[in-house]
Amino acid sequence: MNGWLARFPVRAAIGLVVPALLILWWHWRTSAQIATFAPPAAVGRALAELLHSGDLLRDTLSTLKRAFAGLAIGAPLGVAAGVAMGIWRPVDRTLGPLLHALRQVPMIGWLPLMGLWFGVGEGTELIVISMSAFFPSMLNSHAGVAQVERRYLDVGSILRFNTAQRIRFILLPAAMPLVLTGITQALAFSWIATIGTELLTGAGSGLGVAMSQAQVQQRLDVMLVVIAVTAALGFLINQIFRRLRQSLLRWQPSVQ
Amino acid sequence: MATRAFDYQILAQTGRTFRLERLPLSSFVAPLALLALWQLACLTGLFPPQVLVPPSGVAKALADMTASGELQRHVGDSLQRLLIGFVIGALAGMAFGATIALSQLAEAAFSPTFLTLWQVPVIAFVPMMVMFLGIDEPFKVAVVAIASFFPMALATFDGIRGVPRNWFEVAKIYRLRLFQLIRRILLPATVPAILTGLRISLTRAWVVLVAAELLAADSGIGQMMEMGRQLFQIDVVLAGVIVSGLIGFLLDRGARWIESRASRWRTA
Amino acid sequence: MSPYPHAREDRPPTAASRGALTISDLDKSFQIGGQARRILDNINLDVRPGEFVSIVGASGCGKSTLLRLIVGLDTDYSGELRLDGERIATTSLDRGIVFQDHRLFPWMTLEQNIELALLNTDTPKARRARIVADHIALVNLTGFEKAYPHQLSGGMAQRAAIARALVTEPKLLLLDEPLGALDALTRVHVQNELQRIWMTQRSTMVMVTHDVEEALYLGDRVIVMSPNPGRIRHIVEVDLPHPRDRRSPLLHRLKDEILAELTSGADAEEARDNLVHLPSREVR
Repeated sequence: MNGWLARFPVRAAIGLVVPALLILWWHWRTSAQIATFAPPAAVGRALAELLHSGDLLRDTLSTLKRAFAGLAIGAPLGVAAGVAMGIWRPVDRTLGPLLHALRQVPMIGWLPLMGLWFGVGEGTELIVISMSAFFPSMLNSHAGVAQVERRYLDVGSILRFNTAQRIRFILLPAAMPLVLTGITQALAFSWIATIGTELLTGAGSGLGVAMSQAQVQQRLDVMLVVIAVTAALGFLINQIFRRLRQSLLRWQPSVQ
Repeated sequence: MATRAFDYQILAQTGRTFRLERLPLSSFVAPLALLALWQLACLTGLFPPQVLVPPSGVAKALADMTASGELQRHVGDSLQRLLIGFVIGALAGMAFGATIALSQLAEAAFSPTFLTLWQVPVIAFVPMMVMFLGIDEPFKVAVVAIASFFPMALATFDGIRGVPRNWFEVAKIYRLRLFQLIRRILLPATVPAILTGLRISLTRAWVVLVAAELLAADSGIGQMMEMGRQLFQIDVVLAGVIVSGLIGFLLDRGARWIESRASRWRTA
Repeated sequence: MSPYPHAREDRPPTAASRGALTISDLDKSFQIGGQARRILDNINLDVRPGEFVSIVGASGCGKSTLLRLIVGLDTDYSGELRLDGERIATTSLDRGIVFQDHRLFPWMTLEQNIELALLNTDTPKARRARIVADHIALVNLTGFEKAYPHQLSGGMAQRAAIARALVTEPKLLLLDEPLGALDALTRVHVQNELQRIWMTQRSTMVMVTHDVEEALYLGDRVIVMSPNPGRIRHIVEVDLPHPRDRRSPLLHRLKDEILAELTSGADAEEARDNLVHLPSREVR
């Protein structure tokens, strides 16, 4: 049944119907003189304008820089904390409850407090972004190490592994799929946190800053360009990481 | 069907290792010690009160705000927005997810648009929605609805598409009628996925709502914190952090409880 | 071409002079629901160096527990367990084991898995690659060195696990239902391989199985165990030279005897209880 639907050109064509209708409706709304609506063509002009002035490139680079700086701080710390908690019970007992309590707070909710402590600026943003990268990395790494199968650890003890060998040859590789899942999530969370903190602090440059300026200036065309860039970049970063993950986990049957 | 920065299934797997009721007493040592240290540091004057108020100060702020009814108002406003937006978003998401799961034509027509929009972090819609809706209630409700819509639609889609083909064959062998098929097989089989989707939608919506309230609101937990920051009332900000964390925790816990009750057959 | 691993050449041909396992008055209990439940009761057994001993018995007779004790994963027992006179108190590279699930690490290639077993031996690094290659050849897996476990078939993975267990040249190799998860044809094939490996390697082997035919085909002796608690019921000498012929009348006669024994008495009682009682329909 529905054999014709399985064909790619047919599917693609049907998939384009809805966006086309949306654009038509949008165009019609704009012609009907509603102030805040920008016609579709204006978005193209805004993109050209932003590209030409270099604003878009500057904002994109600042956002990327922030997101990756936060990730570079938060994710390794999170993986280290999660692995340590998974291996050593005392660490889990002492650190665990505290970290689990802290992670209940919505990430952006830390902004006002951090803003009070460190002033509204780069430092505060970086702390909040790092925290958003930290928690998913920690949770997944912990789960990954904690659920390493007993039978593999038995092999380690038959082969007389010491603690370092057990961590290096069994615990870490066995936990790797979940550790990478954690980092994938950290990537997404730090991306979102970056946009969010930029929106809220609204200083310097960045895609979030550009959005909030577009809001103030009532520039829907600019806004849409920035949103599209945000979405495309998020998608792209995620795809790149998926490839990386696949090559790291090629030993897994499901990945092949 | 889809890939995005975070697959909701992955989110569903994590965070399951921590259970409050299974914690031994020793787990409370570290947080309590930290609390004591915090109190001590403030009492000895290591931190001036403009920078850090002691836990007792935060408790006092909470008590004062409760007495004046201010806290209840903020929490009530936030929860009301959450509830209305969540019901709208989750229902719409469920309907949409079921439609594209059951009809191949609908899937072909809507899924590319859906997947494209899904790449946009919900928070990035916030400024645009402020442009259209202003900063009043409709805006906040809409933010929550959008945040709930996407995970819910996806969970429903996956839940329905995930029903093994074999089960339909079993239904055929026993000559179940369509209504029986829906009641006996489709519903029970999809309920766990849908409940997981509900939980993720709910917690996600809470996070986005707090962010939206921080940005633009005249009441709510987020606004309470933002005002506290602007007025340098560190005790109010800390109280807000604690309350928002507690609400997030309770929402997640409650949804998990429902989830585990409704899908007991899975582990049994 | 000699299938001997390179490492063995410099050892005296009387390598079979080691690997004597002595089990005396062995008892083992588990705490189940606050109550001590006896799993193994008064086990006495001497395994000669270089001997192949098979252990058969109904499920629950503690045969796998016995192997866990011998390999040293569980050291909570009373009585004596000695290998070449030395009491078993923990795991040792002198004792290898092959489990029913191959337990190769899925994140390593076949070659890396086997080489990992040499990590804590004093084998010089330079010779390790050679020794690993020899053992891969011994189990007929040459050409699959770079394969990940999920790319191997069940029989191949199990042979790789045997190679991993043998690469440290243990005095004693334990096999815990090593072929239990294989299909019937692969099973026969790996049984033949196992016999060939044992004949070239000549280390002491103790294999637990629930397949009586397999136990008889490979074992110099077959230990028949009874459950609840696990006891040695009977020891059968299989007086046939290796390599054996599956069609041997002696093997068939012994098989019938052991099967009769396993399905008689208490065991048979239990088997009857396991029968499914169909609900009788109401007669109108």
